[in-house]
Amino acid sequence: MAQKPKTASRSPSARPTAAAKPAPAKQTPALEWASAVVGLVLAATAIGFTAWDALFGARGPPAIEVRLQQVTQTPHGYVAQVEAFNHGGEPAAQVQIEGVLVSGGSQQTSSFTIDYVAEGSKASGGLVFDRDPGVGQLKLRATGFADAS
Amino acid sequence: MEANAGYARALSRAFGGALLFSFPLLMTMEMWSLGMAVERWRLLVFLLLTMPMLIGLSYYAGFEPTFRLKDEVLDALAAFGVGFLLAAVLLSIFGVLRRDEIFTQAGVGKIALCAAPAAVGALLAGKQLSEQGPGSREKERAGPLSELFLMAVGAAFLAFNVAPTEEMVLIAYQMGPWATLVLVVISILLLHVFVYQLGFPGETRRRQAGDFRRTFVAFTCPGYGVALLMSLYLLWTFGRTDGVAAHEIATMTVVLGFPAAIGAATARLVI
Repeated sequence: MAQKPKTASRSPSARPTAAAKPAPAKQTPALEWASAVVGLVLAATAIGFTAWDALFGARGPPAIEVRLQQVTQTPHGYVAQVEAFNHGGEPAAQVQIEGVLVSGGSQQTSSFTIDYVAEGSKASGGLVFDRDPGVGQLKLRATGFADAS
Repeated sequence: MEANAGYARALSRAFGGALLFSFPLLMTMEMWSLGMAVERWRLLVFLLLTMPMLIGLSYYAGFEPTFRLKDEVLDALAAFGVGFLLAAVLLSIFGVLRRDEIFTQAGVGKIALCAAPAAVGALLAGKQLSEQGPGSREKERAGPLSELFLMAVGAAFLAFNVAPTEEMVLIAYQMGPWATLVLVVISILLLHVFVYQLGFPGETRRRQAGDFRRTFVAFTCPGYGVALLMSLYLLWTFGRTDGVAAHEIATMTVVLGFPAAIGAATARLVI
């Protein structure tokens, strides 16, 4: 049983010049068509996506918006989880995120660095403060970045 | 049914080959960041070049013993599909691709960049892991042009494994002009020796036509030229050449040309 397909699959290769003959056995299996179609769809998706982005994608330098997601009180300070979204047309590397918390007359600055924020994408991190950011006024912004390539 | 079963086996081999050839790249950090950082036009050119390259490669080493253009195209497409799916799945498992990222340009870039070497692996696996030994059909066809094509694919393939890394740039910065020249000489010598002297399997039929000088001029030099071209192309694709002084670009090309030359020389072993 197991032998049979083996010999069948080997026979065309045993005759390298099979194409020259009519070769009635040589018929493209349905599975070959199916996998080629899958490949075609994926290739078309990748190429189409890239082409669309190259032609009509956003232009301009990275423009990074920093949003506050959530504040959690921990034994080691208040953790403010923030999210950076790049509205610009190019990816940014080594994005420095800074948060300045003004509460009760005092000011505290906290910062972190994100490796990459691609255009139209987001990345997240956390800022740690001694006081509750929910009480005072928290200013979030990206202070700088390097070009990604 | 039997044909389908046979093809299913070939397809599984293709997945195995894709995995074998592409996992070093899938596990390389620079590939992830380059996937999103590579300029879109360059990525587009890269993807558009991948297809004819796969079709050509399929002609020599498809995972189906085929001879017709239709079948080469089908094989190439299937190989790309295999590479794409494998890259997508593994990158997701590795946590490189977040769920919300797959259909952004960053996600597609990451997958597409890894899909190309995986697809080459998928195509090669058909031959490497197949039940029949190394076929003889493709060698009979190898004229000078196809020889160059295979060298180019071999060069691109091996160079691609290291081209995305920071080390290429770093090595170029560390090397002085004399070291660069020495590396050029070593690359050319290795290319020549690997292809024409060492007697690796797969080179038996290679034209050892005439004397040393003729082979050197007719085959080794074009081979190294192709290797350098591939290096430069990959460096350009990855944005390594932007704003860099010409002599540094030359050094980088030579540095990457070293693995590319070995790849060109050993293309016959693999393909």
